[in-house]
Amino acid sequence: MPSRRRTLLKVIILGDSGVGKTSLMNQYVNKKFSNQYKATIGADFLTKEVQFEDRLFTLQIWDTAGQERFQSLGVAFYRGADCCVLVYDVNSMKSFENLNNWREEFLIQASPSDPENFPFVVLGNKVDVDGGNSRVVSEKKARAWCASKGNIPYFETSAKEGTNVEEAFQCIAKNALKSGEEEEIYLPDTIDVAASSQQRTGGCEC
Amino acid sequence: MNRSDSNKQSSSGEQEGAEIVYVKDNVAIHPTQYASERISGRLKLIKQGGSLLMTWIPYKGQSSSARLSEKDKSLYTIRAVPFSDVRSIRRHTPTLGWQYVIVVLSSGLAFPPLYFYNGGVREFLATIKHHAYLVRSADDANVFLVNDFQDPLQRTLSSLELPRAVSVTNTPSSAAAPSESPSSWTDGETFDRNSALAQQNARQRQKNNDPARDLSIQVLEKFSLVTRFARETTSQLFWEAQGDGFIPNDRRKHDKKTHDYPRIAESNNIQKLPEDVPVPEDPLEFDKVSLVWGKPRQPPLGIEEWSAFLDSEGRVTDSEEVRKRIFYGGVEQGLRKEVWPFLLGYHSYDSTYAEREYLVSVKKSEYETIKNQWKSISKEQAKRFTKFRERKGLIEKDVVRTDRSISFYDEDDSPNIKSLRDILLTYSFYNFDLGYCQGMSDLLSPILYVMGDESESFWCFVALMERLGPNFNRDQNGMHSQLFALSKLVELLDIPLHNYFKKNDCLNYFFCFRWVLIQFKREFEFEKTMRLWEVLWTHYKSEHLHLYVCVSILKRYRRKIIGEEMDFDTLLKFINELSGHIDLDAILRDAEALCICAGENGEACIPPGTPPSLPVDDASMYYQQDDDDVL
Ligand SMILES: Nc1nc2c(ncn2[C@@H]2O[C@H](COP(=O)(O)OP(=O)(O)O)[C@@H](O)[C@H]2O)c(=O)[nH]1
Ligand SMILES: [Mg+2]
Repeated sequence: MPSRRRTLLKVIILGDSGVGKTSLMNQYVNKKFSNQYKATIGADFLTKEVQFEDRLFTLQIWDTAGQERFQSLGVAFYRGADCCVLVYDVNSMKSFENLNNWREEFLIQASPSDPENFPFVVLGNKVDVDGGNSRVVSEKKARAWCASKGNIPYFETSAKEGTNVEEAFQCIAKNALKSGEEEEIYLPDTIDVAASSQQRTGGCEC
Repeated sequence: MNRSDSNKQSSSGEQEGAEIVYVKDNVAIHPTQYASERISGRLKLIKQGGSLLMTWIPYKGQSSSARLSEKDKSLYTIRAVPFSDVRSIRRHTPTLGWQYVIVVLSSGLAFPPLYFYNGGVREFLATIKHHAYLVRSADDANVFLVNDFQDPLQRTLSSLELPRAVSVTNTPSSAAAPSESPSSWTDGETFDRNSALAQQNARQRQKNNDPARDLSIQVLEKFSLVTRFARETTSQLFWEAQGDGFIPNDRRKHDKKTHDYPRIAESNNIQKLPEDVPVPEDPLEFDKVSLVWGKPRQPPLGIEEWSAFLDSEGRVTDSEEVRKRIFYGGVEQGLRKEVWPFLLGYHSYDSTYAEREYLVSVKKSEYETIKNQWKSISKEQAKRFTKFRERKGLIEKDVVRTDRSISFYDEDDSPNIKSLRDILLTYSFYNFDLGYCQGMSDLLSPILYVMGDESESFWCFVALMERLGPNFNRDQNGMHSQLFALSKLVELLDIPLHNYFKKNDCLNYFFCFRWVLIQFKREFEFEKTMRLWEVLWTHYKSEHLHLYVCVSILKRYRRKIIGEEMDFDTLLKFINELSGHIDLDAILRDAEALCICAGENGEACIPPGTPPSLPVDDASMYYQQDDDDVL
């Protein structure tokens, strides 16, 4: 490993307004859920220390306003991201259908060096609502979409009850770390796209 | 050309051997948004010796407005500015309206936009190009750089933007001033040396007999802020302030006051710094400027005082005086319901009780009519009306997360939350092109809290959105123009801070996005927000006081920002976390001082039509291709 190790991992959370981005971030970082979060204006981030194999990293999690009208701001915030989290609400078909837009918008604005292999993680949130009775997007459907986009890791979460939140962010951190390392390892040498893309296909084994 | 002008300095504009190479009539400036206050004049380019000069002289005695005296007009006169003092010219071509240019001087100051009523911008630029060094900026096709040097090293040097103590508008002779050629700016230390010198100067001057006056002038001079206007108002202000007993006459008292002033103690506290990072001095010596110019806050306007402003039929007799009073003190909570509709422009100051009562009833039924447009959409209809469902869904998600900590909104099934929803949904039908955008619920919430009544709140909100609507445009142009103006103001009022932001890629000012979008709603507690808003809405010192508020907050924390070498991320986080920790009264006082200090140069930083100014052209300002959003 190079001595100049990355210690800051930048993660962007995207998804329609109200799907629970701010709540997920706060549940993960502060272990709290509040009904009183305000709609996000502009952007903000929280940081959390994470440990992998005896190494400490700072996970910097960016939360932005979800309304599409604010997307032109994205450029300033998405740059340099190591992983992008796409969130939808399992009780809203529209929020699921929009995942593709969010993914593409991110790739355009962040313009990562290797868009094919840029790590995404998808979260289907609010699984607690109504005991699951108002759910309109099935897990199967969501997983199929994730598979079609290059095996994006998928989690079903509840920011309210904390379900799966820790697990999801473990995976997010791991992917962010991998993406950072790949850059470090492959970029200075000749770029070997085939090798790096092969490595990626495994997705997240968490 | 300047014959009729008594100013002796102007004579150097045209001497023997001067050749007029360009003349354009009906080139105007718009000092305010009012068409009646526009000033037309003649623009000339004059070739003299080796240099090219620009003049713009307003026509005599032609103004339609009694409000603009000849003296006012002459303030704007551009007397023979040599192009060696010009850094760039920005050309604006609005889709509707006249083409205009903004001429930016090397000092960083800019003249107000020059509107070419009869066209001729292209010829103007071509003439300059013919006689002086002019190139199009690689970054922006509408920016033309003057004196941009081929040599990359020199270019870097010239972009250091060293402050120069040359007052521009009233020294036509500055062409003859000591050489300002870039080669004399030998290194980055020049600036430090300059400011050290200036400080030394300042210290010396403070020993003089007339400290306050001297201080204010010198502080201005140091940063090229002395225009004739500023000089005049400075002395005037000084005497005024002294009349208030606010400026102490003698030095000891002044020092003492400084110590008594709580915010200075506070700012010392928060600005503890590692010793090793040098922070360039604030060129304005802001604390002092604020002491000299920012007036102390007053208690809020109460019912008795307000009644005295009304005549027997309920007209506000002196609206200027009312606005001034509110600017300095705000309004008591119990009176807001009555006063806000005036500030917002829903009621006009010269309306009578009877006229207002009538308006309220007419508007009430109008509100009900618009509200019924969506109320009458049946479930079946809504099923096939995706835009409506989505818009409603978006609003419903936001109203339940708006100000829930205020008791007015804290119950889960609060009727006030429902009113928020109904008003916003009705507004999105009233202004269908703009629709609903996040942030609007923040703007509405205090209005509903104050007005109580749904229809009244709606119309007050409509009035507010007349000015702030462009903040929410799909292309975000209202936000971009405000953030751009903010960057220009910081450049004018604190160039080291500007340079710091530039160096650290922070010039987009996105870290101020939330401040500007919802007028600091998230930065202060509820009551303080209302206080700030009513002050902003007076438009008393400037329509854009909120931008000066931004500058004053940034200036207050400049030592911390620069000293801790904050990058964009850290800065954004820092700014977000200032929420709840900003001393409103102190900031308002600073903002007023900055606004006075910047004067016309400050206003010139702000493009016409920048919110909350009323839009320059109304037509289809919201309408864009309907391809985005849930709408
Ligand atoms: N029942 C439930 N509600 C949630 C969950 N996550 C968020 N919410 C609620 O959904 C609304 C929007 O959440 P927020 O985190 O602000 O969404 P954002 O706009 O994506 O940041 C809020 O009222 C939250 O309380 C969840 O997992 N379960
Ligand atoms: Mg949010």
